[in-house]
Amino acid sequence: MRRKIILALGVVALPLLLRNLYVIMFLVPDEMEQGPIYRIFYYHLPAFFTAALCYLTALVASVLYLAKKDQKYDAIAVSATETGLAFAAVNLITGMIWGRISWGIWWAWDPRLTWALICWLVYFGYLMLRSAIDDPTERAKNSAVLSIFASASVAVTWKAIEWWRTQHPGPVLSIRTGGVQKIDPAMEQMLYVNTVALLLLGLIFVLVRLRQEEVQREIDALRRYAHAMN
Amino acid sequence: MDERNITFMFYGLAVAWGLLAVYAVLLGLRDRDLTKQLDTLKRMVEEKK
Amino acid sequence: MTTLRHAATIAAKDLRSEFRTKESINSTLSFSVVILLLFSFAFDPSPDMIAEFGGGLLWMVFAFAGALIVNRSFARELPNDCIDVLVSSPASGAALFLGKAVAAFVLLFGIECVCLPVFGVFYNITWWRSIGGLLGVLALGTWALACAGTFFSALTVNLRLRELMLPMLLYPMLIPALLSVMMLTNTLLTGQAIPDDFTVWLRLLIGFNVMFTTLSVYLAETVLVR
Repeated sequence: MRRKIILALGVVALPLLLRNLYVIMFLVPDEMEQGPIYRIFYYHLPAFFTAALCYLTALVASVLYLAKKDQKYDAIAVSATETGLAFAAVNLITGMIWGRISWGIWWAWDPRLTWALICWLVYFGYLMLRSAIDDPTERAKNSAVLSIFASASVAVTWKAIEWWRTQHPGPVLSIRTGGVQKIDPAMEQMLYVNTVALLLLGLIFVLVRLRQEEVQREIDALRRYAHAMN
Repeated sequence: MDERNITFMFYGLAVAWGLLAVYAVLLGLRDRDLTKQLDTLKRMVEEKK
Repeated sequence: MTTLRHAATIAAKDLRSEFRTKESINSTLSFSVVILLLFSFAFDPSPDMIAEFGGGLLWMVFAFAGALIVNRSFARELPNDCIDVLVSSPASGAALFLGKAVAAFVLLFGIECVCLPVFGVFYNITWWRSIGGLLGVLALGTWALACAGTFFSALTVNLRLRELMLPMLLYPMLIPALLSVMMLTNTLLTGQAIPDDFTVWLRLLIGFNVMFTTLSVYLAETVLVR
């Protein structure tokens, strides 16, 4: 059943991603000042949304794990975190390439960039911690606690940067500017469509990863069983 | 379409697709590895029975 | 109330055993002084430059020292399975955590108080001009380090590569606290009072402390009891 859902999602997501790539490269209007480089933005921002949603899912799953002690939630947390890291990497590196053209440098110690990098490191630490603990219950418990701390720290860091000066472009989407149309509606619409596509892809990753966690648990159980038989 | 920094646009799109593709491949490899492990274990347990 | 009393007992026990063996104090103190010395070779700073990044430099040293101290916090209890005894004692996880955090705070703060004059001598700074504010900010920053550090020390105590894992997890999460404490220390070292637009950093630091302390006290039981 799970396999069929993943397959169905893939059948929807892949054509959508390819179609979006075509539209982004050839059909969306040009940006006046920046030239073609701005098209990176169609991946930069949706990748951020997906990553943020993944991190949020990981937080909720971690809290639920601590409340219910069900391994299912631990599996969700690790799947979401790993997928989030993949998308956050897309967000960071596309941003760097854009910065090379627009700012002339690959990396600026701008608050938002710094924040994204810290976020990546913090959640990478989560994966490191997991890989260092062998006992499944212990691993689930400790990494759930770490995930909660990670979200708290990341939230405060986010607040800290707002007090700092930023050279990162401000919000352009009309939902963030209070209805003021800052970019061509065609651009904004495309942005949402590609967000949907990347979210779908993220969902597929999470589901595949989730199944792997289940298989891993099955393997561990079989190992113990085989061991007991000796 | 103007072509001022089109190479960097390609780099950007390539990185976005490339990274996600690499992650997908890694997932696929891990999937194969896990399935193989599971099969071996199942066979082992069968034999012992 | 019992929690606080238990915490005080644990803190006293930790400090007493530390002062008997002096294993972390001696190593951490000499380590901090060596780092301070090395930094002076690395930068060869002028007084103006020190006014710009003195606080940052000082807190780099303290962060390293802090990681060394909190590393021992729970690891100290590993031999003879003392940690199991502590967990099964009437003291709650929260009390255990608080006691250990306070002990780490006292040790670290003591080391900082020794490092400050050394720093003043090596880098030729009159650091005592606004000593009240400076000590207050140091205390806040040290609590952030001690609290988060002790908690993560409990989290990583059973790991292989514990010594490596702890700073890897700790430093990125401490960034908001370290950032604000560095900014504040920078200004205070030059003898000025905290300017108005810097109160946000003070608020951030206090907010961080409140949040991390609450979370740690709340989750300590979960982490410690296995």
